[in-house]
Amino acid sequence: MPVSDSTAAVGDSAHTGGVADADERSAVSRTSQVVRQLRRNSASRVGLYVIGLVTLVALVTTIDADLFDYQFAATFWYHPENDPAGSTILLPPVGIENSFGTGTWAHPLGTDHRGRDVLVRLVYGTRIAVQVGLIATGIGMTIGTVVGAVSGYYGGWVDDVLQRFVESLYAIPFLILVIAIMSAFGRELGIAIIGVSITTIPVFTRLIRSQVLSVREMEYVEAAKAAGVRDRHIIFRHIIPNSFAPVLVQSTLQVGVNILIVASLSFLGFGVQPPTPSWGQMLAHSRQYMIVNPWFSLWPGLAILATVVGFNLLGDGLRDAIDPRSND
Amino acid sequence: MTTTGYIGRRLLQIVPVLLFVVTVTFVLINSIPGDPVRILVGPAADAAAIEAARARYGLDQPLYIRYIRYVAAVATGDFGTSIHYGGVPVTEKIFERLPVTLLLLASSFTLAIGSAIPLGIFAAKNRNNGYDHLARITSLIGVSTPSFWVGLLLIIVFAYYGDLLPPSGLVMPWADPASVDGATSRLDVLATAASHLILPSITLGTLQMAAITRIERSSMLEVLNKDYVHLARAYGVSERTILRRQAFKNAQLPVLTVIGIQMTTALGGAVLTETVFNINGMGNLIITAVRAQDYQLIMGTTIFFAIVFVLGVLVVDVLYAVIDPRISYGGGAGE
Repeated sequence: MPVSDSTAAVGDSAHTGGVADADERSAVSRTSQVVRQLRRNSASRVGLYVIGLVTLVALVTTIDADLFDYQFAATFWYHPENDPAGSTILLPPVGIENSFGTGTWAHPLGTDHRGRDVLVRLVYGTRIAVQVGLIATGIGMTIGTVVGAVSGYYGGWVDDVLQRFVESLYAIPFLILVIAIMSAFGRELGIAIIGVSITTIPVFTRLIRSQVLSVREMEYVEAAKAAGVRDRHIIFRHIIPNSFAPVLVQSTLQVGVNILIVASLSFLGFGVQPPTPSWGQMLAHSRQYMIVNPWFSLWPGLAILATVVGFNLLGDGLRDAIDPRSND
Repeated sequence: MTTTGYIGRRLLQIVPVLLFVVTVTFVLINSIPGDPVRILVGPAADAAAIEAARARYGLDQPLYIRYIRYVAAVATGDFGTSIHYGGVPVTEKIFERLPVTLLLLASSFTLAIGSAIPLGIFAAKNRNNGYDHLARITSLIGVSTPSFWVGLLLIIVFAYYGDLLPPSGLVMPWADPASVDGATSRLDVLATAASHLILPSITLGTLQMAAITRIERSSMLEVLNKDYVHLARAYGVSERTILRRQAFKNAQLPVLTVIGIQMTTALGGAVLTETVFNINGMGNLIITAVRAQDYQLIMGTTIFFAIVFVLGVLVVDVLYAVIDPRISYGGGAGE
């Protein structure tokens, strides 16, 4: 849970000497205040539940797919290849009729163009969305934060060079940048994660740089400088931890954005390649069957929407809890 | 520093940014496996024909020479020729497709800004009642929905089931009536163009609308809580006048920032929208270029997008200064 992470990070940062002791106490009490605020906010509770569910599903399906080669899916879940009656393609959801037949409980959400169960593929598609969403945001946040902190702290030519670099990344529309990266280095999960991470870097660099510019002049940073503390120490132990709150909010929202990017990539055919299921790819397939089985187009979109809403609800809730003045 | 000086300095800063974009794109594109010349000449061609084609497109040179040549060419506005489209200059292809994408962007932004600003103000005015909640939920869903999915649903409902609007393609309003199906007059062309534009504009505009509504609402709320607004209320100034005269203009700076950010998102969104609706614009051009491994075309379109974006950011920054005279064009590290 991101909330407890924040406690750990802020707490760790403060074990570094007299200057930060006051910070530690206030950070801990602030964190518990934030947690209390979040609990009271029903919207962020819903967000947390959605994220918890989606992460759990992603974890279970990842273990099954990567360690057991889809054994769990094959044994406990319906698998078209094992169906003696043969699989009917493009079945509608249970109880609804179309030109291919009537939906049954064997396939609650219907089947796809190859007779595979839509629900099972939807569940296994969670894996790609969550993996890319979380890991890419994590990598982008880490690099972006360090670059932004260094840029803001040193100023001068270091800042100039780093800012031009970040602006360049910003200038290429992110979808096109990731597509170019994936065409160059391969349409695999790892490459997708790297590509999306790179588009995430500028978001955090800008955010943290503006934070650092205001934190840089604070008394405790001045005091640390005067006491002869090394720059690296000041950046990693004082400046970054003290800019943590907005980064946490932005990370939560960014996971949602990145999940949308992954889905878009898959939709355009540049994501993870079949037969590995992903939500965007399911939507791309469904495009050809919109007239005969429009239901097929409905479910993957709903899955994306619900997941992204979850991260946005939590992100908004965190922002309100951290900054009670914000009205949003 | 004067406005002209500021714009000049910003234009100078664009140069290294674009050089970096050209370099990144060049390196990436040249890492793509596969040989575009082989695709061009076809499987039947012999070695001599392949070498001849390679020499014609300058692909027989070492990488660094190609890079230097490319940068020099781009600096003079020459983006090379497209292999996929049989040697047509890349710039010609871009300017052929550009109006389509610009029309789509303009119409979706008009729709988004035109609906989001009143909606945001309305929500702020009715803070925490039913209308506000509805506006907040709508915009939350808007920023969380994949745009291409919105497109698919719109096609299913309005094109296939409702049979009200066309599911694909785009007609330019200035097209020759003779070239448009079933059109005899300019009015017919305009009607056809409008009917083709509605669904793609909603698809592309949903995200912008939602994002702008959110920022308009919170920005208005913040301004409405300022002391000078309370003071105006205390003096008995009507709520309408406060909204119009005092709150509105001061609340628009953050809104402008979000609109600026939405520009890049929209360029990416255009790729998706054009794919969903089979529209032959810039987005479709890029996807075609990547699929065909047309090096020059991929690089040209990407760099062109970057130029458009960087100039767009510059325009937003200048607009900032126009809206808020307090913003200085100071030197320093700040932007």
